[in-house]
Amino acid sequence: MLESLTSLVHGFNIALQPQNLFYCFIGVTMGTLVGVLPGIGPTATIALLLPATFTLNPISAIIMLSGICYGAMYGGSTTSILLNIPGEASSVVTCFDGYQMARQGRAGAALGISAFGSFIAGTASIFGLILLAPTLADFALKFGPPEYFALMVMGLTVVAYLARRSMAKALMMAVFGILLGCIGLDPITATPRFTFGILELADGIGIAPVVMGLFGIAEVLENLGVLNKTEVFAGKIKGLFPNREDWRRSLGPIARGSLLGFFLGLLPGVGAIVPQFLSYALEKKLSRHPERFGNGAIEGVASPEACNNAAVGGTFIPLLSLGIPSTAMTAILLGALMIYGLTPGPLLIKNSPDLFWGVIASMYIGNVMLLILNLPLIPMWVQVLKIPYSYLSCFIILFCLIGAYSLNNSTIDIYIAVTFSLVGLLMKKFAFEPAPLVLAFVLGPLLETALRRSLILSDGSLLIFLQRPISAAFIIFSIVVLVTPLFSQIRLGRGLSEED
Amino acid sequence: MKKTKITTVGASALFWIVVGILACYGATRLGLGSVTEPGAGFIFFWSGLILVILSLVVLADSVRSSEDTVREMEELNWAKIALVLLSLLLYAFFLERLGFVLTTFVLVSFLLSCIEGTNWVRSLGVASAAALASFAIFELWLKIRLPKGIFRF
Repeated sequence: MLESLTSLVHGFNIALQPQNLFYCFIGVTMGTLVGVLPGIGPTATIALLLPATFTLNPISAIIMLSGICYGAMYGGSTTSILLNIPGEASSVVTCFDGYQMARQGRAGAALGISAFGSFIAGTASIFGLILLAPTLADFALKFGPPEYFALMVMGLTVVAYLARRSMAKALMMAVFGILLGCIGLDPITATPRFTFGILELADGIGIAPVVMGLFGIAEVLENLGVLNKTEVFAGKIKGLFPNREDWRRSLGPIARGSLLGFFLGLLPGVGAIVPQFLSYALEKKLSRHPERFGNGAIEGVASPEACNNAAVGGTFIPLLSLGIPSTAMTAILLGALMIYGLTPGPLLIKNSPDLFWGVIASMYIGNVMLLILNLPLIPMWVQVLKIPYSYLSCFIILFCLIGAYSLNNSTIDIYIAVTFSLVGLLMKKFAFEPAPLVLAFVLGPLLETALRRSLILSDGSLLIFLQRPISAAFIIFSIVVLVTPLFSQIRLGRGLSEED
Repeated sequence: MKKTKITTVGASALFWIVVGILACYGATRLGLGSVTEPGAGFIFFWSGLILVILSLVVLADSVRSSEDTVREMEELNWAKIALVLLSLLLYAFFLERLGFVLTTFVLVSFLLSCIEGTNWVRSLGVASAAALASFAIFELWLKIRLPKGIFRF
């Protein structure tokens, strides 16, 4: 513990360097902006800013990209409260009571409690991260290829289990993601696989063009002619500081939301969306007046907002301590780490302590920045929302194209982004979810290597996954997750409202 | 109506069955290796096979029930979408030939005026600003090398 605190102080020394402070500010501002704007999310934003970070040192780059992740959670609530349109999928629940509060003239209190709740949860999750990530990384040093393979299988299974629609379809997308992720040279024999003679595909398909297509351009295509007129809340926003009664009602939900979000965010595949729904349901269940929910209950804003911020902190733990992303957003951060020449995994904390502790300290500073800047800047975000969507959509497309091109200075990446925009649109049309695809796409090559190494280790025996206790536990959990829906109609993801 | 939906979902499942079979076929050509020493096509073969099995489950499910079928997206304007996609492909084709500024100007003008119905004068103004501003941000500030094309800009 003392060692962690000493390392954290060192992290603050790094995060407080002017250059890192600047990139932290840019990250949280960009995150809030894309959180506010419907139509582009943090995942696509990280992808399209990735090439711009190549000239930075990896610590500044990851500080900025992480800022986008948690900044978007703050921004997402603004559109939910003022427009009844979630800026982010993880702000859907905030619409239920936040918009009602705005209609009752309490938009200020809703925005205020959302910002304070996010700050408290963000801070709590950073402390959780400090406590758990190094411990988990030490534990993960015992992992060999079978454990990693089993862990990745578990992550993909959980993602499919949490799918809002068909679990089979989500698994199909995960398998398709593995297929796409393994395109390129064979890691052992260097045989070109499904490259069709295209030289640029030898290194595989880049994660950034795929994400820009699936989450950036596809979103614009879906909204063509639909989001032309957004009804922005017209009333004057006042009273951003919640009153004593608001605090009394909100403190419990914020604490519960933070805990729930953080611990669920830890699980591979859970992300920030599902915990938010669960926290809302929990508060409604615990309330003496559940009928207030949906009619402007401040607890219905405080808890989910705290929850989605805490979950983001939680998702960083498997990423930084195991090198396993648990959401599409952290999947692209993993891609970024690899591009910067870092090896994600349990040794990251030991080998790159400046990066790990610097990023954690910057997350705390970023949360303070968001709290100080966000509330006074809300009128500016409201003005941003008044920009016609036609202009925004053009800029989103343009930035995605530039981002895709500048990765390798190759138009092939633009073709890939355009292709995946059509794929993304058709996936929406046919109710296939993109998250399992992206996660499996990133995990595919890691999964393949772990599987092949495990089989070589065991001389071809699949029992190796069941003979080692940690991998056996992961595999048994995956089987339970896969089999449960066959015997029960209850599945966590089902029944949740439309994503994205 | 129900019959149409099942057919559509079935068609999507059939598409994935074909993808899975192609993956398996490609994998066998790459070489599957053995369980003790998996080859280059090993992961593709097993992934393709699982994809086929899951597609069959979805296909069977679509025949059995009408639930979880196609998401209602009638409002989508497919003609516009096709135009946008075509313009993006043309952008990729001409980007290195004509240079970033010119192709970006043409693309943004087209998207704004033809797709979004913004008037021509405004479209051209916004397109010029977008092309020049993005050039300034990415090329001059962020030092990202953008293609110059035959006109050298």
